[in-house]
Amino acid sequence: MTVDTCKGVEHQLQAYLDRSLTPDEVGMIEVHLGECEYCRQRYHFEAQLRETVKTVCCGDPVPNDLVDKVRLQLRAQSG
Amino acid sequence: MTAVAQQTPADAPERAPFEEEALTHADQLYRIALRLSGSPQTAEELVQETYLRALRAWESYRPGTNLAAWLATILRNVYLDEARKQSRRPAVEVLDDESEYFLYDQLAGETPPQTHEVVLNRLSGEAILDAIANLPENFREAVVLVDVGDFSYQDAAEILDVPIGTVMSRLHRGRRLLKRALAEQIPGGDT
Repeated sequence: MTVDTCKGVEHQLQAYLDRSLTPDEVGMIEVHLGECEYCRQRYHFEAQLRETVKTVCCGDPVPNDLVDKVRLQLRAQSG
Repeated sequence: MTAVAQQTPADAPERAPFEEEALTHADQLYRIALRLSGSPQTAEELVQETYLRALRAWESYRPGTNLAAWLATILRNVYLDEARKQSRRPAVEVLDDESEYFLYDQLAGETPPQTHEVVLNRLSGEAILDAIANLPENFREAVVLVDVGDFSYQDAAEILDVPIGTVMSRLHRGRRLLKRALAEQIPGGDT
């Protein structure tokens, strides 16, 4: 595996995680990730970081009475 | 078309289907509002106002299109109106020449190769929320919509009213900035 391939994977990694690459590009990245420990480790990290960010952000408790309050206000407004 | 809003029987049936459909997205909207505003109280107010405006605009919603994205567009406008009133900080310029992996490299430090779980465990939830809160507005919106709100590039482009390429570049830079902010909050590789 060449340094160039690792660079290419680094460059496209976010787009890969966003599932916005063509099937050919996906294929090339996946072949490389299967072969290259350096890139695989970093790929896992980036993927896990996305998950962590999402989990942390979606862990915010939504107020229990949010929907009820909205409903009340809508009814007050629309009479 | 009458200009005077009256309480007529014709108005009454509208609210029920609106509530039925639109309120299923309240949690998702709240989380986006919270990450945009950084305050639970403001988030709740933003969601309330979003639903009021949405009800008024309900006739312009086309059934079968993405309701969550339609609501998020309204939420974003409500948020911008509020932010304008309070004149939030201006956006900063971003350096774009760092390695994609600099956060990993910094977290992994000098110690022998570690698993990514170990590396990620060194980040606290609080650090992540702080880092998002401190992103410049444009970048935060893109990151929150796509990475937290699960909207596609296309949805985000419509919500933000910018071309899809702009969403991608804001997302790219926002994620970079997020990682840089996280890297700054971590004491370097001492274990």
